[in-house]
Order: sequence, then structure tokens, then C-alpha cells
Amino acid sequence: MKRRKWLSGLVCMTMATSFLAGCTPSNGDDANGGAAPAEPAATDATTGTAATEQVAGNAEGSEGTINLWAFTDEVPKMVDKFVETHPDFHYQVKSTIIATTDGAYQPALDQALQAGGADAPDMYCAEAAFVLKYTQGDAWQYACPYADLGIDVDAEVKAADIAQYTVDIGTNPDGQLVGLGYQATGGAFIYRRSIAKDVFGTDDPEKIAEIIGSGSQSWDKFFEAAETLKGKGYGIISGDGDLWHAVENSSDKGWIVDDKLVIDPKREAFLDLSKQLKDNGYHNDTQDWQDAWFADMKGEGEKQIFGFFGPAWLINYTLAPNCGGEKVGEGTYGDWAVCAPPVGFFWGGTWVLANKNSEKKEAVGQIIDWITLNTEEDGLQYMWANGTLNGEGGTKDCVASGTVMSKSDGSLEFLGGQNMFDAFVPANSYANGKNLTQYDESINQIWRDQVRQYTAGEKDRDTAIADFKSTVADKLAIDAAE
Amino acid sequence: MKVDTIDQKKKGGIVLKVVIYIICILLAILSIFPFWIMMVNATRSTTEIQQHAVSLIPSGFLKNNFAVLTGKSFNPLVGFMNSIIISVGSTTLSIYFSTLTAYALVVYDWKLRNAFFKMIVAIMMIPAQITMIGFYQMCYKLGLTNNLLMLILPAIASPMTVFFMRQYLVAAFPFEIVQSARIDGAGEFRIFNQMCLPIMKPAIATQAIFAFVSSWNNLFTPLVLLTDKKNYTMPIMVSLLRGDIYKTEYGSIYLGLTLTVLPLIVMYLILSRYIIEGVAMGSVKG
Amino acid sequence: MKKKKLVKYGKYGYFFSIPFIVAFLFFSLYPIIYTFVIAFTDLKGLGTELNFLDEPFANFKSIFANKTFLRALGNTFFIWICNFIPQIGLALLLTAWFTDKRFKVKGAGVFKILFYMPNIITAATIAILFKALFDYPMSPVNDIMVSLGVFEKPVEMLQNKMMAKGLVSFIQFWMWYGYTMVILISGVLGIDPEIFEAAKVDGANGVQTFFKITIPNIRSILLFTLVTSLIGGLNMFDIPQLFLLGGPDNATLTTSVFIYQLAFQGSHLYARAAAASIIMFILIAVLSAGMFYIMRDRDAEKIKKEIKEAERQKGEEA
Repeated sequence: MKRRKWLSGLVCMTMATSFLAGCTPSNGDDANGGAAPAEPAATDATTGTAATEQVAGNAEGSEGTINLWAFTDEVPKMVDKFVETHPDFHYQVKSTIIATTDGAYQPALDQALQAGGADAPDMYCAEAAFVLKYTQGDAWQYACPYADLGIDVDAEVKAADIAQYTVDIGTNPDGQLVGLGYQATGGAFIYRRSIAKDVFGTDDPEKIAEIIGSGSQSWDKFFEAAETLKGKGYGIISGDGDLWHAVENSSDKGWIVDDKLVIDPKREAFLDLSKQLKDNGYHNDTQDWQDAWFADMKGEGEKQIFGFFGPAWLINYTLAPNCGGEKVGEGTYGDWAVCAPPVGFFWGGTWVLANKNSEKKEAVGQIIDWITLNTEEDGLQYMWANGTLNGEGGTKDCVASGTVMSKSDGSLEFLGGQNMFDAFVPANSYANGKNLTQYDESINQIWRDQVRQYTAGEKDRDTAIADFKSTVADKLAIDAAE
Repeated sequence: MKVDTIDQKKKGGIVLKVVIYIICILLAILSIFPFWIMMVNATRSTTEIQQHAVSLIPSGFLKNNFAVLTGKSFNPLVGFMNSIIISVGSTTLSIYFSTLTAYALVVYDWKLRNAFFKMIVAIMMIPAQITMIGFYQMCYKLGLTNNLLMLILPAIASPMTVFFMRQYLVAAFPFEIVQSARIDGAGEFRIFNQMCLPIMKPAIATQAIFAFVSSWNNLFTPLVLLTDKKNYTMPIMVSLLRGDIYKTEYGSIYLGLTLTVLPLIVMYLILSRYIIEGVAMGSVKG
Repeated sequence: MKKKKLVKYGKYGYFFSIPFIVAFLFFSLYPIIYTFVIAFTDLKGLGTELNFLDEPFANFKSIFANKTFLRALGNTFFIWICNFIPQIGLALLLTAWFTDKRFKVKGAGVFKILFYMPNIITAATIAILFKALFDYPMSPVNDIMVSLGVFEKPVEMLQNKMMAKGLVSFIQFWMWYGYTMVILISGVLGIDPEIFEAAKVDGANGVQTFFKITIPNIRSILLFTLVTSLIGGLNMFDIPQLFLLGGPDNATLTTSVFIYQLAFQGSHLYARAAAASIIMFILIAVLSAGMFYIMRDRDAEKIKKEIKEAERQKGEEA
């Protein structure tokens, strides 16, 4: 008897659940289309409660729903803010968030773009690792030029003084601008003041810049400095991964030229730089995002590490939380400064695009303009730069617009009071947006793997290069030039 | 002499028993280890985890992590409900219909029986990754995304479960009871529901656990198909936490993982009763 | 009145298979056909149009000429064999210990439950955990080895190809031995206890009982274990992809990871990936057929006889 109950219970449960499941989507549709969403428009984004509602909008007299696809809640929260501060904007925004970490964002977005229809994205976000695919690569046809959204592109880009590399990346093969970011991710050298004083007798960013050969487009001075640092028992960087982003972005050519794989001499030199770092003991031989790398931010690695290469977000989200303190005097907090790197580069970033097939181009244009080009104090970038998007005292970050940064205060206690924008505005202009391809993520992974094999002594230099070429050919069907 | 051998046998028995216990305890520690690390990390701050990813000692950031978790579009209740609907639905369908199909394959003699069995085994062998492209395409073209049924109904055709149930029936199904039930005038469907299902309990329990675990942990398909926040499952929510690559909150990710696994453990402990005790087939006969 | 009608039960076989067939046709047929079709096209990138190749088997040829694929194939077999043999061995041993009443292992229930637990936790979590354990230059394993004096200084263990392969095998073994054990135990529980009683009366010892009674009686379950493990092993994906992304230097690249990387990363070579999938499918099918052949027994005939018997008796009654 007991047995039968157990089974029949399960069967009942299934029927009930499948019934429920069958109903859910249709209920959902009603809620979206109807005039009365379950929750009023996001009124208070700072608490996070309203922001978690998927539909934000000024429901009264709604003119429709804008579908926004993103891979974090960052842009959706910005859009909530836009809706909240623009009572005359009569659209609702429905956000779809799919993380990139498990590789599902692109397949889902591609299917949604191809399928079209009412549920297709009107607006979508792309991360630096794959943005090229959507602005210049396989999916560029879906991206709507900003000009068609009612944006006066040339004038606004100039007025906002947008970092050139973000414009280059966001320009489609026809030369039209289809994507821009809000954040600027130009990289600088972020170093420890106390070590600078101990070894070089100064912690002045301009002097240090000179010592490491900032802007020289060569690594010679940097390695001289590494030798000096070694003499006092310090490492110049934590691991070779820190160097890679700078090397990658400084090359003259991207990985692919005329459909053939090309190893730019500057990228090939990474093999030697990496080996040199290891053989001479200039670093702690860590890998980025692993325990030992984070330990170096606190100064608790094998030897003290002088600095890291990175953009502003690395300071805010990685260095600061891992420095071992929360105010000056604790851990390495306040012991840092920023100066220009030997070669310009950028690392990461988010671009915002619009769907060519969207029927709400003008409304989408208003949001995109507010996020990417507006330089006013109530525009997104001003709030982002000054850390006021979610109220006073938020994280200050670099933004795409030089105009906005010039009227913002980027001084951080973490940097001993230095205004980080002084270093990052030029850094953004050094960064190069022209040597990228949509295959970079895969090719970089294969390249770094082979470099690691070489420096670990598992194979020689020529074999590493040959294996790199053959693996790229096998996995991506891109043959090496020559 | 005889006493000696008995003594030796006893000694041998004791040595063997000690070996058994040592191995079992070692394996048990290995089994608990990742859960312990995960739960400990759920109480640690992101910085602590970044500095030392593995620690055995809990810290005091549980509340903090929970605040971050719920502040980041992680809604445990919604996720739990969706995960439960999908997992219970697909597990039940998979178990019931797989047993039914296996019963058809074993108890009846029909012309296409062997061909059908071969087909089922062949379906099982098709590598999953590529066929997913066609499945997504179908779902998006037919507008069936954000429909939980698309993650439940396909479970009716679960080749691996059918295969297991068939093998189990072949090994141990007492055909006599079918005969006697038929003599008593029971219908075929009733014989299946009232005779076969109870007998299959140990097999059903094991397969239910496997089906439930894999459905609960299934990430990629739901991730691509369920794009609407109100349909998110627990693993999708954890995946979203990990998606913030510039500012990854590891503490809350581990808390999310822990919350995801807890219902699974409960479900497993409930069903495992049948694995431990088992209901031998013979008992039904008498 | 005798033998007036011989009841035909065969039709129920068709009836009871209908739900499976309908669900299969509706949900799986299109994706499978689509896969087979695109293997003969040049589909890649974001393309949707299917252009059939002039040379139909060009994709297959390019896969056979692809050294990385062949290497992945070798890795897949290596990793599978290295984890499957210890896995089935340990599972059988534990099954013998836990089902033999003579051992009376105290806490057997708790052990049985615990051993399956690694299978509950998601592969991603396990991958992260093992990466952290064996990391370089700072990690628990390195710290222990250095303090024990085994290593002079931290070693970059995960750059060593054999080490990486071995670790993937170990993780697979550790995640799945409990699963295999649970399956085998459920098979043993299905055996009529009277058989064991009879063996006991006949004076069979534990080892004899296990090999002469238990193993033959769970043969069909063993076949299931072998075939599903073969399929699972040759389609191994999660751990190799999540743990080291198939590296270092493609040492843990399995065919599934390779297929995934072909189709979902880089150039999105769907057509080639589909061709590789079909090659794997054929390979698995051939090997499974071999297993069915080796493990074949009189099951089929036995069942047939029993069904006939059942129908005949029913007919007689009527």
C-alpha cells in the first residue's frame, strides 16, 4: 500500500507541475503586454529590490517593450536608472541576462537575433572578448549604425572626446559606428609607492614613468628596472600574464591578415619576454586570477611585487579588495600609484549595440545616447566616473568620454590621493583598437598555453611556435601565412 | 590443527575487515571533502577565497555573502520553484515512461522489438553537443523558449533509462506473476502499474536519483532556452553570479552553490533509503 | 472450448512504446537529422543557409587528417581506460563487501550514500577545487609537498602532461565509482534471495558466491555499465573542458571538448564538428556492438520462451 501511494503521489505531482509549467509562460506574456505589471516601475534602483524586477518602465501610456540582452546586470541597472530619470520615456524595458562564463550568451543571442520577431533583442551588449564578432565579424549585419538611431555620430563622438580604440572596435566594415562603451579600459602601470621609494628614491608617477620607459614602445627600460628591483629583492610584476595584455595590444598586426594566421614580431617576442622574466626571477611566476597572484597584491607572495598592468577596474575590483586593508595604513592600501605603461593597451570593456531589425530605433537611440555619448552631469558616464550612479560614495571608474573625465574627480585614497584620470586619459588614447579579430579569445588561449609550455621548459621555442600554428589550423581552420 | 585454521581464518577475517573499514573511511572523507570546502567557502569573504581558495576553517561572512547574493538578482525561492518543477517533472516522466518502454521491450514479443531496442541504444550514443544546435534552432524558430515544458517533456524519451530498466527486467523479472495476474483477469496496463512498478522499486530509486541530479544540475540547455528571469533555475542564477567577471563575488557564488546542492542532498537522502535497504524482487512473490 | 483463442499480447508492445516514440520524434528527430545533414555542408560562423559540398565527404576527410582530433581521440581512450578500470574494479569490490551478509560492514548504509555524493556536486565546482588544490606556485598540494621535502620548491604540476591526464582520470574515477557501485548494488538487490540461501546451504564461501552467483546474475546490469561507461567515457566533456580547457598543450583535450571548441568557439565550424560527431558516433556504435557480442547470453531466447509460455498458459486457461 505504501508503495502505491509513493508512486501515485509522484504521478500527481508531475501532472500538477507540468500543468503549472504549461501555464507559466502565457501568464508571463500577459504581464508584459498588459498595462499593469505586477510591480510598479523601478523606482529605487539603489536598494536593488526594484532593480531585480525584469520589466522596468513607465507603464502609463506605454508605447511598447524594448528587449535588452546583456551578460551582467550592469547595463540593465543603468537602463533602469534611465527610465527612472526620464518620466517622458514611454517604453518598458525587458532585460534578459545570460552569463558569458558558461559559454551560453553567444549561442542564445545568435539564435534570438536570427529568429527575429517580437522577442528579438532591440538592444544588446557585447564584451571585449567577443565584441568584434558583433561589430565586424560574423554577426555584424545585425548591428544597426548609431546614425540610424537618430544619433549625430560625428559631432557627439568629438564633443565627448571618446577614446579612439572604442570607436575603432565599434565601427563596422562599412565604416559606420555601431557600438560604443561607457567604460574606458585603457591600461596603466599600477605600482607600489613604498617599493618605488626604496629602490628608485621617488614615488612620483612622472619619474617612475620615465624609469620604466613609459610610451617608449619598447620593453628595454622596463627590464632594466626589473634588474634594479631584483637587486633589492623585489619582483617587477607578479606573473607573465600581467605583461600579456600590454604585449598583445601593442602589436602592429592582429592574429589574422588576409585570412591567414600571422604572428606579429611583437607578439612573438612575448615568448622571450616571458622566458626572460622567469629565468631571471623577475616575477613570482604566478598566473592571473589564481591564489598566488592575489597574494602579491597584499605583498604576501614569495617576494614583494612592484606593480601590475591594468585598467581602472583592476584597481577598483581586484587590487583594492585584495590589498589586505580598507584604509590607509592597512595592508597595501594607499601605497599605490598609477603611471603610463611602456606600451599602450586596453583590457576588457562592454559595448552596447542596437538591432538593425528593431522597430523602436528612436527609443533605443535615446538610451544608447544617454549611456555612451551624453556628457552632462545627469548622463550615465558622469555618474559612473564619479561613483554616484547608485548614490554618493560609489566606485569611481574610468569612462569612455574624455570630456566627462576632465570635469570629474578621479582621486582615490587607495592611490595615495592621486587623481587616476591623469594617468588613464592618456592611457585610453594609447590603446589600439585596430589589431583585433573575432577569433582572439580562442587564439590567445592557444598561444598562452604554448608560451607556458615553453617557459616551463616542456618544449623549445620553435616547437612551441610550430605547435601553436598547427593547433590553430586544426581548431579554427585558419592556416598560417607563408 | 583444525583449531589453528579456524583461528587463522578468523584472523584473516579481522584483517580483511580492518582493510574494508580503512578504505571505506578514506573514500568517505574524499566524498565529504568538496562539500566541506564549498560550505566553508560560503562563509568566507571573496578576498579570503582569492587569497586561499581552499580552507577547512569557516569564517564569519555568511550573512554578508547572503546579502550580496540576494542583491544580485539571485532569488532562491523562484530558482528553487523552477528547478523543482523541471526536475520533478522530468524525473517522473523519465522514470515512468522508461519503465513502460522497457516493459514493452521485455514482456511482449513483437516484430519490431529488437529493432526498436537497437534504435534506443543507438540514440544513446549520439554525441550531445552538436545536436543541441538543432534543438536550440527548433526552440527559437517555434517560439518555444522560456517554456519549462521544453525541459520536461523530452524526458519521456530517455534512452539510457530505458536501457537500464530493460537490463534490470531481463535480469530479474519474475514472469510468473504476469501469468498469474492474467489468469486473474487483470488488464495489461494494470499489471504494469500494480505488479511491475512495485517490483522495480530499487531500479526506480536509483534511476530517479540519477535523473533528478542530472536535471537539477543541468545548466547549458536551460541557460540558452530560459532567458526570462522568472524562469531561471538555481544553476542559472549561480552562473549569473559568476558572469560578473570584473568583480566576481566568490563568497556568494559558493553560497549559491551550497543553496543549490542542499535540496539535492535532501532528495537524495530520501530516495537513498531504497538503495540501502532495497526491496528484493522475491519478496513480492510470496 | 479448449484453446479457443490464443490471446495476442504483442500489440501491447507497440502501445507501450508509443509515448517514447512520440516524444522522440517531436523533440529529438529534427536535431539529429539536422546534425547529419550539416556534416555534408560548409556551415560555419553564423551562417544559416545550407550549401552542400561538391565533395560530400570533405569534412570527414579533413577530420581524419586533423592531427589535433587524432590526438584528442588518443587522449579520450587513455583517460577513459585509466579511470574505468579502477572504477569498475572498486565498484565491484564495494558491491561485494556491502551485499555480502557475512561481512556485516557497520555503517554500510552511510558509506553507500557518501560514495555517490561526488556525483551530486556540479563538475564546475569540482574543476575549480582541483585547480586550486594543485595550483602553482601557491597551493595546498605544493605547500604540503614542499614542507614534506618531496619538492625542493613549488612545482608547476599542471603543466606536466601526464600529471594533467592522470588528474583528469582520477577526478572522473572519483566522481563515478559511486554511481557504478549504486547501479551494481541495485542489480544485486534484484537477485532472488533464495539463490543466495541455496548457495549458503551448499557451503559456498564469499568469493565463490560472488563469482559464481552474483556476477552471472547481474550480467545484464554489467553490460549496461560497460556500454554506458563506454558511451560516457568517449563523450567525456565536463571535467576536461572545465578543469584545464583541454590543456596543457592539448594533453587533456578529449574528442568532445575538441568538437565543442570547433563548433562553439573560434571559427564556429559547425559542419566539421558535425562530421567529427558522426565519426565518434560510428566508433562508439562499433565498440558497443562488440561489447554486446562479448556479453551476449541466452537472455533473448530465455525471455522469448517465457513469454510464449505465459501466453500459452493464458490461452489454455481461457
